[in-house]
Order: sequence, then C-alpha cells, then structure tokens
Amino acid sequence: MAEIIDIRHIAKIYEMGDEDVHALEDVTLTIKQNEYIAVMGPSGSGKSTLMNMLGCLDTPTSGTYLFKGENVSEMSDDDLAEIRNREIGFVFQTFNLLPRATSLHNVELPLVYSGIRSKERIARAEEALRQVGLSDRMDHKPNELSGGQRQRVAIARALVTHPSIILADEPTGNLDTKTGQDIMALFMDLWHAGNTVILVTHEEEVAQHANRIVRLRDGRIESDTVNEFTNSVP
Amino acid sequence: MKITEIGESVRIALSALRINLLRSVLTTSGVVVGVVLVVVMGWTIKGLDSVWERTIGIIGRDMLYIDKWNWSGGHNWKKLESRKDITLKQALLLAERMESADLTVPLARKWGGTVNYGSKQVLCGVQGTTHEYGTTPAGAASEGRWFNSIEDARAADVVVIGYGIARTLFPDGGSIGKILKVHGFPFRIIGVVEKRGFLFMDFIDNQVFIPLSSFQKAYGFFDRSFSVAIKAGSEQLLNIVRDEAVGHMREIRNVPPGREDDFSVNEMEAFDQQVSTIRTVIWIVGIGLTVLAFIVGSIGIMNIMFVSVTERTREIGIRKAIGARKRSILLQFLVESSTLCVIGALIAMPISQVIVAAARSILIGPLEQDWVSVVSPFIQIDLLLIAVGVSIVVGLLAGLIPARRASALDPVDALRFE
Repeated sequence: MAEIIDIRHIAKIYEMGDEDVHALEDVTLTIKQNEYIAVMGPSGSGKSTLMNMLGCLDTPTSGTYLFKGENVSEMSDDDLAEIRNREIGFVFQTFNLLPRATSLHNVELPLVYSGIRSKERIARAEEALRQVGLSDRMDHKPNELSGGQRQRVAIARALVTHPSIILADEPTGNLDTKTGQDIMALFMDLWHAGNTVILVTHEEEVAQHANRIVRLRDGRIESDTVNEFTNSVP
Repeated sequence: MKITEIGESVRIALSALRINLLRSVLTTSGVVVGVVLVVVMGWTIKGLDSVWERTIGIIGRDMLYIDKWNWSGGHNWKKLESRKDITLKQALLLAERMESADLTVPLARKWGGTVNYGSKQVLCGVQGTTHEYGTTPAGAASEGRWFNSIEDARAADVVVIGYGIARTLFPDGGSIGKILKVHGFPFRIIGVVEKRGFLFMDFIDNQVFIPLSSFQKAYGFFDRSFSVAIKAGSEQLLNIVRDEAVGHMREIRNVPPGREDDFSVNEMEAFDQQVSTIRTVIWIVGIGLTVLAFIVGSIGIMNIMFVSVTERTREIGIRKAIGARKRSILLQFLVESSTLCVIGALIAMPISQVIVAAARSILIGPLEQDWVSVVSPFIQIDLLLIAVGVSIVVGLLAGLIPARRASALDPVDALRFE
C-alpha cells in the first residue's frame, strides 16, 4: 500500500513565557493507505499536537513532514489550507459544525472552498449524508439534531471531499456509550470501504477498533504496534 | 479565490446580519446619515442645474448685451467707470448696421427706479426699450401684451411689468389696465412678463419695461449709458454676431486699432460662473459633512466588525480547518461589512426621498419659492447608484482591519476558542 504520511524526526516546541515546552520530540511515523490507526496517550502526551501536525493545521519546529511526497513542513498557510481541503477530513470531539447552517450546508462547505459549483456540491453533500444515514435530516440545523446525529453530519463533511485521510479527534468523547459505539461502527465501515482513518483517543476501548495503535508519552512515541484484536480486518 | 466563495460570503453575511438585526441597523446609522447627505446634496445640485437651465432657456443663450459695464465680476470697477457712456445715437447706429443678428434693440436702464401703485411703492429696475424687445424670449408676456411700434413712436404711457413686480403690487392678479406711477408719471399696465429668474437672478423679474421714447420723457437721456440687446438667432451664430457687433461698435466709438474695447459684450455665460460658484459651495459643505458622517459611520462599522470577528472566532477556525484560505476569510468579512453599509444605504433612500419631497413642498408652499417647481420631486437613479457605490467603498475600508485580523487567525487557536 502507498504511503500517505511520512513524518521524520519532527519536533514541536512552544514558547511559554521564558520556558520552552517540548510538545513533540523526535517523532517518526509513516502511515499507509487504508490503515486504521489509533493515536493514544494520556493528556499532555502530545496527542493533540501530533494531530494538528498530521492535519496540517500546524507545522513542526523541526523535522520533515511529507504528505503524499509533498513537503508540508515548508508550506505557506494557504497551501496548507488547500492540502487540508483536498486531502484531510476532520472529525472533532465537539463536532464543530456551523450552528446556523443546515446539515446539508455544513457538509457542502468544504466543497465551497474547493470551488465546486452549487449543483454538484449539493449532489455530493446529499450523497455523503446518505452514507452516514442522515438523508432525512438534511434541512435540520445542528441544534435540531442529537449528539450522534451531529457527529454523523461532521463525518459526512469529512467524507464529502473524498480525502486521503480521515482525522478523528476523540470522536466519541461527547457521546453516550451507545451512540459512541454506533459512531465507531461507522468508522469501521469507512475503513472497510477503503478509507484511511486516524483516530486520536485516550480511551483504550475506542483504540481497540483500530488495526494499529501508536502510543505517545511525553512527546515521544512509546510504542507502535499492530492490533491483533481488532474485530475485523478489511 | 474561488468564485463559489463569493456566493458563500454573501450568504454568511446576510445570515449574520439577520441574527443581529437590531445591532446591525443601529450600527449603520452613521452610514445612513452619510448617504442621506450625499443624496440630498446631489439632488440640490441637480435641482439648481435644472432651474438654471430653464432660466437660461427662457432668456435665451443666443442673447448678447453690449454695455458700458461688464456683468461678470473681477473687473476693475474704476476702469469701467471711466469708459465713455454709450449714447443713444451709438446704440441706434449699431442697431441700424447689424446684419447677421435676428434683432438688435437699444435699451436704457434705470436701476433703483421707483414705481407706485396706490399707496404701495417698490424699488425696481426700469428699462426703456423698443417694441422689438417684446419678440425676444426675455420679453415674453404671460399676460397682456408688449407695446407695439405705434406706442413706441408716440412715447405712449404704457408699461409692461415683470413677474416679481406683479406679485408684489397685485398679489391677487388683475394688474392689466391699472395705472402705475413710474418715477411719478402715470403709465397704464398692458402686460406682465413671465417668470424667469430665481435666486440671484430675481432682479430680472423685478423690472418694468416702457418704450424708449417714454423713458426719455420720465428720466431724460442726459448722462446715461445705453446698452444694446442683440439676439443672434442661435447659439452657433453667437461668434459671428459678436464679431460683427464688436467691429461696428469699435468703429462707431472710434477705438483705434490695437486698443482694447471701451465697452463690454455680456452673455449669459457671465451668470454660469455664479451658478457654478453656488454649486461649488454646496459641494464643499456637502462633501465636508458627508465625509464626517462616513468617518463616524465607518468607526461604528469597524467596531461592530471586531465584535463579529471575536464572536465567530470558532467558526473561522472551522472554516480554516476545512480549507478556507486567508483570502476566503478576508472576503467573507469584507462582504459582511459592505453588506452592512449597503443596508445603511437602503435605509437612507426612503429617508432622503422624504426629506427631498418635504423640502420641495415647503419651498413651493409656505416659502412661495415657486421656481422650485421645475425641480424633480424624486431622487434620481444615478444618485442612488452613487450612494450605494460610496457605501460599499466605506464598508470595504471599515471592514479591512477586522477582516485582516480574522484572516490571520491561527486555525488551532481559533478552534480552541471558547
């Protein structure tokens, strides 16, 4: 399988007053197409920083990040925005939907920034919502939806651009157990359908869905193992 | 910048404004005042122009007046004073020699003459002229008639009064046939000249006209400078006619070659300058007030845009995460601020229309300035377009700094914002 992400010796250092905080140190990681990776670690382990890095929301202080062979670490803000738009689908813990927009419009939004015409946008957004089982909630606004439904809208938004990776940050963190399981089942379906999924979580149970688990501690990779217990392999 | 983003920006802007409708409307008040000022000022200038065009149209742009005095300002008064008077003989000679003009009519003027009707007395200009002057637009009678060649020749005691005089002395009409005393001599009113002047041109309507021969009886021709009214026939002929008149006059008054004319050729253009001075004053005052209003307005807009950017920091983070570039965010907030201003312009339009219509009817009604009736009671479309254009520019300028701040937000920080 082709490599999508190739991170070599990256470090991220934040300046907090006079002190330098090493959020990530010497992290090297490759991710291939159609992997299902869980990034685990306690809070403060650097998970969020790594996720921001992988999602091209932030650039490393040192080291290189090749995304499909392109050097992301030296890109401008606008080039990063384009990579995010084209290649990455984000799913956040707090859903991060636009509160005043309908489900359909929320899902359409990434395509607006890709410059796709309204007609095609709507068709693709409808298709993505169908995929997550929300055909009947297209005209609802986020506050008219349950937590699980909101997260499905967010997943549809992540899928609509057919990204190379889906990056989910604690996607079940704000959901009850049952709804969380439904969402995890949806990620499983997406993986089986050929998508590459990166899941950031601190819950062991959630991480067990993935076929590879990367554990972080104090900004370094502690372990990177294939998860043999994963319930189903594509 | 993708074309699809413009539609999205407008959509966001409108929905954001809808949510904060009251706040948005209040914010635009400065812009509303600015737009009202622009529109009312534009309407005033256009009104002035149309009144002026009408006045000129009645008097005729093809009229020349040969005179000792120059009508437009900026001349050395002493020097004009020292010119020799134009005698009746010279005026008649010019009238006889002119070939290219439609009409050449000698005139005698008495400024500040007195006319009495019963116990009422007014100060006004008294003009002595011939029956031919009645055939020029300047002598068009709205009531009665001009004096004829027989009355001219016989020095008949007949008078044609200007519109203003008729209004003052005979507010209820019925002036024809009444006896008016001009310089103490009784004259019978036979006609009223139609309304021509406005503002500083009011003096045109405050004149009375009597035959030249009768003028001599009343005032005498001694120590008096005559002028000659020449009607060229059309504006195109003005140059030819002017050249001919100047040539004859120089010859008649024995001006040696190389010496400058010892008389002036006055045209309606002299008044154009005064009109343009009024225009300029309106512009300067209007622009000053407008700029002030727009500065105040744009500070309000800028302030509310900063609030809007802060309130929507998280939304900006989401948009950036899913691929909005700096320019996209910039555009979004610029569209929002200029939409605010356009809303201000839209609010300003009915207000301006009401002001304009009210001003017009107050001038015509209680203030009896009926020359205003030629001014349109409606705001012109081009003024509305200018107003919208100006308000868009103001919106873009006012929104620039907040929009730049929004576009420069770091997506990670923005997403974390509570």
